[in-house]
This record gives sequence, C-alpha cells and structure tokens, in this order.
Amino acid sequence: MDLRHLLFTLALVCANDSLSSSDDLLRWPQISKCRSPELETFSCYWTDGNLYNLTAPGTIQLLYMKRNDEDWKECPDYITAGENSCYFNTSYTSIWIPYCVKLANKDEVFDEKCFSVDEIVLPDPPVHLNWTLLNTSQTGIHGDIQVRWDPPPTADVQKGWITLEYELQYKEVNETKWKELEPRLSTMVPLYSLKMGRDYEIRVRSRQRTSEKFGEFSEILYVSFSQAGVEFVHCAEEIEFPWFLVVIFGACGLAVTVILILLSKQPRLKMLIFPPVPVPKIKGIDPDLLKKGKLDEVNSILASHDSYKTQLYNDDLWVEFIELDIDDSDEKNRVSDTDRLLSDDRLKSHSCLGAKDDDSGRASCCEPDIPETDFSASDTCDAISDIDQFKKVTDKEDLLCLDRKDDESLPTLADADAQQPHTNTQSDRSESWPPFADSRDSASPSVHTQLSNQNSLTNTDFYAQVSDITPAGSVVLSPGQKSKVGRAQCEGCTEQSFAMDSAYFCEADVKKCIAVTSQEEDEPHVQEQSCNEDAYFTTESLTTAGIGLGASTAETPSLEMPVPDYTSIHIVHSPQGLVLNATALPVPEKEFNMSCGYVSTDQLNKIMP
Amino acid sequence: MALARAAGQAGPGAALALLWLLVRAAAPPAVCAPGDSGCLRLSVADLFDRVIRHSGRIHSLSTALCAELENRFPARDNELGKPARRCPTAGMLTPNGKEYAQKIPREELTYVILKLLHAWKEPLSHFNQHMEHHQELPDDSLSKAKQISKMVHELETGIEKVTEKMQSMGIISNSLHGMASSEAAGFSSTNEANMMSDSDFIHCFKRDSNKVQCYLKILKCRIMPENSC
Repeated sequence: MDLRHLLFTLALVCANDSLSSSDDLLRWPQISKCRSPELETFSCYWTDGNLYNLTAPGTIQLLYMKRNDEDWKECPDYITAGENSCYFNTSYTSIWIPYCVKLANKDEVFDEKCFSVDEIVLPDPPVHLNWTLLNTSQTGIHGDIQVRWDPPPTADVQKGWITLEYELQYKEVNETKWKELEPRLSTMVPLYSLKMGRDYEIRVRSRQRTSEKFGEFSEILYVSFSQAGVEFVHCAEEIEFPWFLVVIFGACGLAVTVILILLSKQPRLKMLIFPPVPVPKIKGIDPDLLKKGKLDEVNSILASHDSYKTQLYNDDLWVEFIELDIDDSDEKNRVSDTDRLLSDDRLKSHSCLGAKDDDSGRASCCEPDIPETDFSASDTCDAISDIDQFKKVTDKEDLLCLDRKDDESLPTLADADAQQPHTNTQSDRSESWPPFADSRDSASPSVHTQLSNQNSLTNTDFYAQVSDITPAGSVVLSPGQKSKVGRAQCEGCTEQSFAMDSAYFCEADVKKCIAVTSQEEDEPHVQEQSCNEDAYFTTESLTTAGIGLGASTAETPSLEMPVPDYTSIHIVHSPQGLVLNATALPVPEKEFNMSCGYVSTDQLNKIMP
Repeated sequence: MALARAAGQAGPGAALALLWLLVRAAAPPAVCAPGDSGCLRLSVADLFDRVIRHSGRIHSLSTALCAELENRFPARDNELGKPARRCPTAGMLTPNGKEYAQKIPREELTYVILKLLHAWKEPLSHFNQHMEHHQELPDDSLSKAKQISKMVHELETGIEKVTEKMQSMGIISNSLHGMASSEAAGFSSTNEANMMSDSDFIHCFKRDSNKVQCYLKILKCRIMPENSC
C-alpha cells in the first residue's frame, strides 16, 4: 500500500514535470466542462488521462459538494450523459447555489472545479429549421426568404424559465465564410436579397440571454431555390464595380480639364497649374525697360543688383536696391564697376564688384560665369573666387574687382598699371570686361570711392564680349575698343563739352570729368588719355580714365585697355563720380541726353560739383 | 306615518338604489374610470411584462458590472472556500429550482420576490457610497452601480403595484401583508457586506437578480390561467 502510494506519487511527480511538454507523457484526468442546457439539470464531463498504465485501474470518481453540505458526495448518475460524465438531475440540481466537483481516485484528487449552475448554461441547438420564400425581385435574380426554427426542446422557454437568444449564420454553398446576423429573441428571421441562382446553407445557435457563450450549432439547413420550383433567371456573374471604366473616364476627364486649362485665357489659373519655368533674367529688370530706354529705372534696378542690403547703400533716394543675401558686411561694398571707377572709399579689401544676382539664373556664385547683361554677377563670381587674390595686392587677374583696388592706395594703382600691360596683351586675344580690368588697374582710390559711393554708377550696364576666362576666375574682356578709350579721354573734361553726335558717351571723357572735379592730381592723366571718339563708352575706358585720373601712373596703360564695342554707363550718384541724379544735382534734367539712355559727359560735367 | 307610507311605496326602488350604492361602495375604487382618456389601463399581463423587462435590465447591468469588477479584481476560483463570499441574502430561503418555484403558492412567491428586492436596497446604497470613495474605479462602473440601485427601488415599487393589482383582482390573497410583517428582513446586518470585496458583492447581487427575474417569469406564467405553468 505504501509502496504503491509511493510509486504513484513518483509517477505523479514525473507527470507533473512533463505535463505540458509532450502528448506522449502522462496526462491527468481533467474535468473538461460542466454545462446545464436548461437551467434545471447539469452534467459534468471529464477526460481520461493516460495514467492507467502506471496505476491500478482504479475507478475515477466525481465528487460534488454544495455550499451548505459538509461532505463530498458521489455523482448520482454516471450513465445518462455518456462516458466519463456525470449527470445531475433536477433533484440534485440547485440553481444559484455554488457547487464544487472534483475528480478523484481513491486517494488522489485529479481536478477540482467550482461553479454555480446559473453560470454554466449552454443551451441545446434549435431544431426544426425550415424556410419559406417571401418574395422575389422583379428581375427574378434575388429573393427573400424567411427562416424559422423551434427552440431547443429541453429549454423551457414557454414558461419563461429561461430566455434564449438566437444567432443565425448563412453562406453560399461554395463559400467558406459564414455571414452572421445579430442575436435576437425571435425564432424567425427574414433573409433578404439572396441570389436565386445559388444555394445557401443556414445554421442557428442559441445562448442564454445574459450569458456570452453560445451553445452548439443546429443542423445545417440547405436552401435551394430550384428545388422549390421557383422560376428564376440564371444570370451571369455580377460585374463588380467597373473600375476599368472609372479609370478610363477619369483619365479622359482629367485630360480634358488639362487641355481646357491650357487653352484658357486665364493666366492665373494657368500659372497655378503650370507654373512658369523661370528664365534667366535680372531680378527686377523688365526687358521692356531696356528697350524703351528708360535709363533711370534701368539704372536703379541694375544698381540694386550690386548690393544685397539696401540699407547699406546710403542716401540714394532714387536708386532702388533689392535686398539680397549678403554674408558679410564687405559685400555691401560691392558696387558696379562704375562705382569703383569713380569712388575709392567704398571699395574694400576683398570686395569685388557685384553681388549675387539670384535671379540671373546662374548656378553658382563661384562659377566663372559669362554674364549677359549683369556685370555684377560676373563681378560676384570673380570676386568670390578671387577673394583671396583680391586681398592680395598683387593680384591683377581679377578684372572686375574694382573695390579692392580702391581700397588700396596708390601702390595698388601702380600695380594696376603694372597689370595693365598684361591686360592689354590679353585684350588682344580676347574680349573681356575691359572696364573692370581697367578700372581695377587704373582707378584711383578716390575715383573708385566715388564710384562705389555712387550707387548710380552701379546701375551702369557695361556690355562687353568676354574673350577669355583666366584661371583665377576673372573674366578677360575683349580688348577691341582701346582706341576708343583713348579717344574718349582725349576729349577731357576741360573741354566741358562733349560731342553729342553720338548717343554714347566717352568714358574717358567722363572719367576725365570726374577726375578733374574730384581729384586734384588726376587731371593731367585724364587728358593724357586718349579720347575715345567712338560711339560707345566702355566702362573700361571709364575705369581707365578714372584710374588715370586718380593715379599718377595710370594714364598709358589704361589707354591700352581693350575697349569693348559697346557699353552703357550706369550713372552712379556720387559727389565725385558720375552723377545723374536729377533730384540730387542741380543740373536740370533736360540737359541730359537721354536719347539712348546714356548721359553725355557734358551733362556729367555739369553734374559734378 | 306619511313618511312610512312614502317609504313603503318607494321601497323597492329605494332598496334597489341603496343596494346599488352599497355595491358600488363595496367595489374597489378604480384608479382609472373606464373611458377616461388620460388614463391608460394596463392588464396584469402588461404590468408583468414591464416588471420582467425591468428585472432583465437589472440583471444585464449587474452582469456587466460584475464582469468589470472581476477584470479589475480577479476572483478566486474556489467559491466554497471563501468565507467572504457569503452573500447578504444567504440566509434567505428561496426556491432553488423551477419545480420549487412552481410548487410554492403564488403569494409566497410574490413575497419572496419582494423580500429579495427589499433586502438589497440598503446594501446597494452602502455599496454606492463605498464605490464613490473608490477613486480607482472607472466612471462607467460607478454609474452602473447607481443605476442598479435606482432600478431596484423602481422594481420594488412596480412589483408592489402589481401585487396590489393582483390582490385587488383576487388573483392572490391578501395574506401577503401578514407574511411581510411577521418575518423580519432576510438581511440583518451590514457587517458581512462590508467584509466582502466589491466583485463578490456584485456577484451575489447578479445571482439574486437572476432569481428575481426567473421568479417573476414563473409568477406571470402562473397568474395567467391559460398557461400550463
């Protein structure tokens, strides 16, 4: 007895350890479930373990105890509910009273469970399912049916002892997923819009009203309309939503809309949907302005290109400056060549002419770009790329850095002069920005300052053909018009009158004028410079004139500077430079020869204080 | 003498009139006069349907509340072993099966129902106060508890009215009042209720609400003569 007990205990311990690991191992008998189908009786079912091999085939007992009992009692009926079950009939069943049942051998308790009968209600499935046809659609494709059933016979629904809810599920015969209806109390349910050409399966299950678990499903009811002898139209497969058509029509509609927008005269709508691709242009400059020759506006606009910060340019009332990005304060001193030509205070160390023209369509500031209309951009490029060079006094490659030259004292001018032959030689080869080169080389500081001070000068638009780009990044302009420079210079400010037969001024004349008025020592050089009788001014010539005016040694080299074929002068407002500010200067406006947007040196002369 | 002669001549008519008045006086006064448009006369069956529906709602609410509380405070499996699980109405004798409910007299069944409802009124109000102090419970549970308490009051009032109607109709006898006064309330002390946890308390009430619902259904079945209850 004790040995058997010990062995059994060992077996149980071993089984306990490996209980959940494998099915081959020992399994304990377990109470699988206890259910009451009608709230009047209940049964408990258990599973056999596979302990029979080890232990003696002792009888497994189910013992129960109610709350008020003192001792465990044995199951009253092992047979009625089947094998491994215990059935409690109504006399043994007390609702609303806690029960505990346990599965035990003689000595061992395998499993124990406590419950109350009203909580384990799982009704039987409904019976006697049948269906009737309610009506069919006019096309004969769909029909409605009514399904009825009887409650489970065991449940006493009639007296109301138990209240059942029913859930119906149906599906087509060849489908896999059941469609569910809401649980309801009634025992008949209409099913609408069933396809007459298909067969359906229907099943119902029930549960007690306030519980959550459903009982077993009833037998499946087969619904077949053909068997009922109902006439139906066997239609083809339903076309699902015509996505294909939707896509086609959507695309057509969209295309029509796009075409209408394109053809519509509404520019705003057009621009909204098809925004215009920005073309290279100077910010703020309307090409029409240039055509019309409105110098003031063009000058003002172009002047603004050279400065990023309008506030940095002082007291130029008539010049508009577009605010551009400037990183350092030195950039504000980037002025046009004319500025540099005519003024020297503003030109700082590294600052090259020009500011970024964001609107010009150029990619990078440091790319040696060939400017079309905006010299300032090229200045920028050159300036930025050659900042270091510019900082060096000896760097003469940058033709466009007038500022730097201005900051430098006369030695720079001397250097510029030294550079001039170089540039001159280069000029033969290529066309570049002569004015810048010249101005840098030969501009006097004062002139440069004047130039830089005179914002109007920044508006000067110098046209030149770029012949080459130096490795340093500076642009070498075509030399062509050197002689013109000289000729222009020949005229000199002393003459105080310039031939106005051409619409263009002689830069040299202008420079001469400036130099004469501004610089005391620059006079002789101006006059020494060759006059440019040509119709065009060059900034180069101007620059050279300026430089020559300001520098003592700047005369000849500047004459050698290549003069471009054409140029335009941005009149820079400066007390010392070219001033065309009619409002600021006493010179009456009508004296200005604005025939082609250019100012004669005569006028300039008058402007000069 | 003249009066006696007049009374004698008018005797049969007067007697009839007097008799009619007496009969009218003896008849129970109708709450609503027939044909009174503003008064809706309900049959006993309708009244029973209403109270049964009301008790069903109470049972649903208590089931939901019990589930919520058991989620928060998981109940132990062994119901017998817990002394704290003693319900407030444990001492009451109630029919524990359908046969018993069918066997006992209707008056007794009615009385049991009323006793149950009455026994739960006070513990439920205590429970509500207790729940309100419990800040960790969600508002949903608190509102359910309040609603249960209110509905129990309403149900008791409704069943009392139905009982009166039944008594007035002679369906059940008037011995109900005697039973009510003789027996003390089934639930004596509130101490036991305080010892229980919230989920156990509501579990007990859920069971009793199910009892009430089933008793009411059986009672209705028994009241209606056509059913074979």
